[in-house]
Amino acid sequence: MAKEYAMVIQLAKCIGCQACTVACKQQNKVPEGQYRTQSPAIGPTGTYPNVHMYFEKEACQMCKSAPCVRVCPTKASHYNEAGLVLIDADKCVGCKYCITACPYKARFLNKETGVADKCTFCYETRVAKGEKPACVSTCVGGALHFGDLNDAGSEVAKLLAKAKKEVRKPELGTKPSVYYLYEGVVR
Amino acid sequence: MDITWGAAPGAEVAWGGMIAIYLFLAGIAGGAFLTSALTDLLHKNRPLKVITAGAYIAPVSIIIGLGLLILDLGRPFSFWKLLFNVNFGSVMAIGVFIISGFTFLSLIYAFLVYQPAFAANKLGLTTAAMETAATGSGKGVLRKATAGLGAVFALGLTTYTGFLLSAVYTNNLWSTPFPGLPGIPFLPILFLVSGVSAGLAATLLGSRNCHDLKPYKILDIVLLALELVLLLIFYASVQSVYFSGSTGALFWLGVLAVGLALPLVMGVYGLRTGKDLLIPVCTLVVIGGLCLRIFVVYAGQLFN
Repeated sequence: MAKEYAMVIQLAKCIGCQACTVACKQQNKVPEGQYRTQSPAIGPTGTYPNVHMYFEKEACQMCKSAPCVRVCPTKASHYNEAGLVLIDADKCVGCKYCITACPYKARFLNKETGVADKCTFCYETRVAKGEKPACVSTCVGGALHFGDLNDAGSEVAKLLAKAKKEVRKPELGTKPSVYYLYEGVVR
Repeated sequence: MDITWGAAPGAEVAWGGMIAIYLFLAGIAGGAFLTSALTDLLHKNRPLKVITAGAYIAPVSIIIGLGLLILDLGRPFSFWKLLFNVNFGSVMAIGVFIISGFTFLSLIYAFLVYQPAFAANKLGLTTAAMETAATGSGKGVLRKATAGLGAVFALGLTTYTGFLLSAVYTNNLWSTPFPGLPGIPFLPILFLVSGVSAGLAATLLGSRNCHDLKPYKILDIVLLALELVLLLIFYASVQSVYFSGSTGALFWLGVLAVGLALPLVMGVYGLRTGKDLLIPVCTLVVIGGLCLRIFVVYAGQLFN
């Protein structure tokens, strides 16, 4: 059966250590000042003793109906054999149309190569070899989970089966593969 | 956000001034070509200055615009890949072919319009003789055919600049539909009217003091009034956040006051009194066209 890769983020377990940000930088050689993933603090909100803050990991949401793929004039942005949105750097001319189309601001123009860049779920460097993405492997709090949703026994399938899950901007119909679990987080 | 790490991405825009100017120049090119070609095809006196001015402005504007477009790429030297890896579902990919066709046709048309003039100059003939030369020869048929086909491409080019932005359905400002018509995006209509208006104004600037331009001045006023109505509908159908701060100032001052209201009042005054206000009116219209493109490009990205 075809694989359906997904990332599940349990926000209550994230301590904001930024190990994911660093692991991504190390794995993917992302230029200075640019990021494939970031985990900004949301908050703090409220007044003492009811002060709340959480961190929200941001990266490509790996949409199954991706606006970036639709607008790309050269087919550089495409779905690969595993249904993931990737960029063929050879075909990309750097027109930035995809960057204007991404509702998650997940894309940027790599200042060293001049082509569009973003999270790949570490597909070619790790996932295709049976490993997990660098951010997931390094996650200190155990907030990040990755696997195949079509495998009912996988960690992500089990987590999503019982938890209340959300995707970002569902009203746009992009069908993201990154799921957020807000249980235990005060928004 | 005042947290030290994991700051959210800044408010950078992917498409900046170069793209706004390119959209503006493409509108000017389309509008100037339509002015020139339709005058050539439909006007019984064929005012030569209007035809030559528009035929000159169209290829010059689109070539400068194309240059800006290519310079704005992350990899300018790989622009040719746009012609070989084509995603037909992408508005930009279709636009590449519209622009290429238009550039080609506008160059051919300019050559056909200017060629008898060059020939006549060599012989030391007068303007009247140039007009006769232009209409009399067998090249007239080719020129008119180029004008007709080019006019179709010019319409396509001018609306394309709107479709390029409106196709980004994740952008609330750019993809705003026409009120009451859910499937019809607003920007292609707005940019068509604005592009023709600015292209006509630019052509009139290039053909001043030569013929009776009254019908063109009336058309310009009609287009300005139509654009004013469209902009008010646009204002009423999108969120008010786009019209605040610096983009708001650009909209109210640049687009509405300087680019529409002032030339509209001056144009009507000029027609009523017979005063020649062509240069200030047309200059303001062109500036307004540029302000509109800058406003739409920036506001759509800054507040999305």
